[in-house]
Amino acid sequence: MNMHLTIARTSANEMNHKPRLIGSRRGVLIAIAIAGVWAAYYAGLDPRELIPGEGGLKLAGEFFGAAFQPAYTYQQTPPDGAPPFLVKVMYAMITTVIFAAAAIGISIVLGLMLGFLASTSWWMGDPAFRGRSTRVIGPIAYSFVRTLIAGMRSVHELLWAVIFFAAMGISPVAAVIAIVIPYAGTLAKVFSEMIDEAPRDAAVSMRATGGTSVQAFCFGLLPLALPDLIAYALYRFECGLRSSAILGFFGILTVGYHLEDAFHYGQYREVWTYLYALFLLVALMDWWSGSVRRRLVV
Amino acid sequence: MSDREQKVVDLKDNRPRDWFVRVSLGVFLSLLVGAWFAGDVIHGLGLDPNGYVTAFEFTDLFSSRRMERLDRFIQNDVALRPLPGSDESPGLVQFGWHFFVTDSPDRDSGFSAAIMTLAIAVGSIVLAGMGAVVFSLPASRNIATSEPFLPSGRQPQQGHRWFWKGVVVVTRLVLIFFRAIPEYVWAFLFLAIFGPKAWPAVLALAIHNMGILGKLNAETIENVERAAPSALRGLGATRGHIVLTSIYPAVLPRFLLYFFYRWETCVREATVLGMLGFASLGVLIQDARVRFRYDLMLLFIGFGVVLVLVGDLVSMIARGLVRRAS
Repeated sequence: MNMHLTIARTSANEMNHKPRLIGSRRGVLIAIAIAGVWAAYYAGLDPRELIPGEGGLKLAGEFFGAAFQPAYTYQQTPPDGAPPFLVKVMYAMITTVIFAAAAIGISIVLGLMLGFLASTSWWMGDPAFRGRSTRVIGPIAYSFVRTLIAGMRSVHELLWAVIFFAAMGISPVAAVIAIVIPYAGTLAKVFSEMIDEAPRDAAVSMRATGGTSVQAFCFGLLPLALPDLIAYALYRFECGLRSSAILGFFGILTVGYHLEDAFHYGQYREVWTYLYALFLLVALMDWWSGSVRRRLVV
Repeated sequence: MSDREQKVVDLKDNRPRDWFVRVSLGVFLSLLVGAWFAGDVIHGLGLDPNGYVTAFEFTDLFSSRRMERLDRFIQNDVALRPLPGSDESPGLVQFGWHFFVTDSPDRDSGFSAAIMTLAIAVGSIVLAGMGAVVFSLPASRNIATSEPFLPSGRQPQQGHRWFWKGVVVVTRLVLIFFRAIPEYVWAFLFLAIFGPKAWPAVLALAIHNMGILGKLNAETIENVERAAPSALRGLGATRGHIVLTSIYPAVLPRFLLYFFYRWETCVREATVLGMLGFASLGVLIQDARVRFRYDLMLLFIGFGVVLVLVGDLVSMIARGLVRRAS
């Protein structure tokens, strides 16, 4: 979400053309409205259906009533040898963090490598960065990496998980890889954009004084983009927590697994405990990444 | 040591250092590495006899059992099924011809599910956008205050301060809760209440994205230039006047950019939410999966990829239009 855009104000007088009745921004707004109406019609979004049927109403009442009394102990007698409920919740959260952290760690390494190859400042754009060999390999590698990144990004992590689980069975490492693929793609895309946005003066003068392109990249360009990169990596970790939580629905022991379990047995107060625990975790992460970002990116 | 070297050392010693950032990065890095061993440590200490915490086994992925399964998957499961009236596995071209050109129910359900996915993504992001426009106001500190945009030189009145602080804190907590719970979990919960219609998916996506867009929009509003709103305030405009005539026009381009960024995500998520068993492409993917028709499953995932690419393209064009206009 890092865009260095200034909100410029222009008036019709400043621009050298006649004011149009439907400018492109107004056109976009109108298109959104039309698309919204079409979607509501096509998907059958009848507001009256938002009042659930009798069974749904009873369920909704029970479920949302439980929001104010989350469980601190098991709602029903647990099997022998089960740890106290809150300990179980804590273990679920720890597992969620473990999967997210393991996946993000690899994603960052892969994302940096791919983002490095996919940044235009490295392969194309600036002649100062072009050696003889890169002039030939550059465009080929660039378009190959870009396509690869688009492919990795365009399949959701849950679908990767479904494919991997179908191919290899449910395995924790496969789950991590399923998160890594789309996340590495996204990180690579954003990293490359951030590297391209970083000021290039230092790198250009390094090249002019005889530095190689790799030296100029690593010491002239990367340090300037680093605060943005770190801030974005922290943000993606927050997203990773959510992805890791959902993978629980597919058999990994993260919070989603326990949540689905509790919901199926109608233990709504336990469900709310899990929801609140996830909320606390994400809120903590939100505060943490926010304060690091504020100090890094001024 | 020469004077000059001493200066360099002094500069190094006195460079600005932020301990919070350093400690944070240290914790973050050790988390990324430690995650691979945390499960082993906890099990080693005997803290988790039930095995709730996952310990990674690196060799597991390459064990013979997994390799056999992978082999079977590639050889048998994912192989194209024989077409009606034939016993042999068809070629890729034949399969494609049968699927896309010959009248096949799978193709029709695939296309209609793809359009349904698109409709869910559009409907939910429009709802989320409308909600975020409203929610971002009480969440931004420069509007939810007793004296919004007070022109400089005037003394603020005391009182009501805690009320407005409370408004901001409560709104922000609600927004964090909205976005902390993943779309999939919201959809799972709503599915039980509303039944298998498009509503659970739309509501789930709308609520989650409302949390994200609300926060981003509030940040945009907080960074808005003070000049125009202050001038209006000096002329006696109310909070509503200021918001409608100077805040919204100034922040609209940024709102729209965020809106389209989130819409791209919505298209991806709308596909996946169907795996809970209703409406979108995901239901076909899930259905093919439980029938072990992995050839169809991959094909429908391919439908999703095309949809995502189209969505990204539309969003890119729309963002270009917004940028050009601003």
